[in-house]
Amino acid sequence: METVLSINKLTKNFGKLCAVNQLDLEVKRGQVFGMLGPNGSGKTTTLGMLMGVTNPTSGSFTWFGEPATHHTRKKIGAVLEHPIFYPYLSGQKNLELNAMVKGANSANIEKVLDIVELSDRKEDKYRTYSLGMKQRLAIASALVSDPIILILDEPTNGLDPMGIAEIREIVKRIAADGKTIILASHLLDEVQKVCTHFAVLRKGKLMHSGPVDDVGKGEETVEVMAYHDDLGVLLQEFVGSGSIKKDNGIFQVMMKDGFHSQDLNKFLFEKGIITSHLMTKKKSLEKKFLEILFEAH
Amino acid sequence: MTSYRTFWVICGLYFLTLGFTTASGMEILKWIASKFEDFGSSLNVNRIPLYHFPDIWQNLIYISGLFKLVLSVMVVISITNEYQYRTLRQNIIDGMSRLEFVLSKVLTNVLLSLMSVAMLLLIIIVTGLIYTPDLAFADVITGAEFLLAYFLEIFAFLSYALMLGVFIQRSGLTIVVLMLSHMIEAIIKLNLFRESLNPSIGWLKQFFPLESITNLVPLPFARYAFQEIQDYVSITAIVIALTWAFLFNYFSYLKLKKADI
Ligand SMILES: Nc1ncnc2c1ncn2[C@@H]1O[C@H](COP(=O)(O)OP(=O)(O)OP(=O)(O)O)[C@@H](O)[C@H]1O
Ligand SMILES: [Mg+2]
Repeated sequence: METVLSINKLTKNFGKLCAVNQLDLEVKRGQVFGMLGPNGSGKTTTLGMLMGVTNPTSGSFTWFGEPATHHTRKKIGAVLEHPIFYPYLSGQKNLELNAMVKGANSANIEKVLDIVELSDRKEDKYRTYSLGMKQRLAIASALVSDPIILILDEPTNGLDPMGIAEIREIVKRIAADGKTIILASHLLDEVQKVCTHFAVLRKGKLMHSGPVDDVGKGEETVEVMAYHDDLGVLLQEFVGSGSIKKDNGIFQVMMKDGFHSQDLNKFLFEKGIITSHLMTKKKSLEKKFLEILFEAH
Repeated sequence: MTSYRTFWVICGLYFLTLGFTTASGMEILKWIASKFEDFGSSLNVNRIPLYHFPDIWQNLIYISGLFKLVLSVMVVISITNEYQYRTLRQNIIDGMSRLEFVLSKVLTNVLLSLMSVAMLLLIIIVTGLIYTPDLAFADVITGAEFLLAYFLEIFAFLSYALMLGVFIQRSGLTIVVLMLSHMIEAIIKLNLFRESLNPSIGWLKQFFPLESITNLVPLPFARYAFQEIQDYVSITAIVIALTWAFLFNYFSYLKLKKADI
């Protein structure tokens, strides 16, 4: 697959503080790439360097295999941190300005306003928008040039669960369009739901990078409940059982390699036990995330 | 930017005041004269040829030059807003280069200066034709070169305001510094050129940035008190002011190029 972004030993110092430290990263076309990391880990600073507003201390990066210029940026739609618009202009007018800077066709404006469902408020001044509407206008502005890549820095910051779900749907729709997306976020659940790949930063250093699907690989945990007094004992007899925990009356069985929930179910059924609850739990990104950060200590 | 209300209100006010003040000077003089007559004394307004060609060029242009502060405040607001609302950052993210950004601001300054020049040209031609008692073509043209000096005066000062905005980035502080600039420069000159120190370096004064802008159009009114004035545009002044205007904009660019925004 074609490499869209390649980062090579990118570093940024703010005085003594090293905000981004020798970062290497690759993003390929069509990926939905999640950037994770605690507050202050350097996500925004990295994106700022990629978008030409923060000057790197050292290191380099290429977009589409070429060193970046302002022309490259026109092919990228990006919103860093907060939505930024002229408060005294309407949403429509702001997008017209964005389109002008990007050299984009202003006929796109109607389309992107539709995508983010802002068409009926487009004539209102930006400063009268709610936070959710501002975030959605920001996504619209990033889309206005029909970019190959979309960069979103915490697009759901400060939104209520419904707003978050709306943005998630928008991002999914855009991703389904085949666009490459780089998404910095704190919401691990969100990243797990929409991203194909992810990277974890900590204090400016890359701790991990890989496909999201890999997170669930490896050992599998199965939740079991049954109306049977000896369930705990029986579970221990099962050859595939690793460790077993009991939590709120539900058994959490960590399976050994190569064993799956259906094997456990079969085993219990043969013992004459019918489960009332049986669920395979993949490891959550959250757990993996905490593990990665923890290992680093 | 284009439909920012405050910007256009100040802009409109500037051109209104500019037009009104310069165009109505003669009427005010006449009014004063009529008051004098009420008290039995007479004042012949035509004795002071404020609005007569060729004097009118330097007179009105000098007066108009005093209004450039209003225009420069507007420039400061427009640039510091770009920082405050972080629209500069978004413009760069959207694919504008830093040079393009500076150029767009400089071009706006050129435009504002040209508009001032055009406005003044119109007022001078109209009022001059009305009030000059006996017109001679040669007289009408003499002094028109002050328009060029006027353009440079406005443009250089707006460039200075733009540079202050780029470096300070906060509107309030920038405006204060802008207002105090003349005073600060005067204090520096005072300390540098104390008579006792060295009288032979007095000629250096003209190289100071704000002084060089002021020198473009010298104060004309002393001539009505039978004093010698400089009634032409000095090439040296043009060259010095032009150099400063270039430097101001170049410094803005350098600062912007290096900054994290
Ligand atoms: N302009 C600046 N001047 C000085 N330090 C800065 C500047 N911008 C960022 N930093 C510092 O760099 C580090 C990384 O900040 P950054 O904003 O990139 O983190 P982040 O991962 O985006 O955090 P968050 O999740 O809170 O958005 C922080 O320690 C921050 O204080
Ligand atoms: Mg951030």
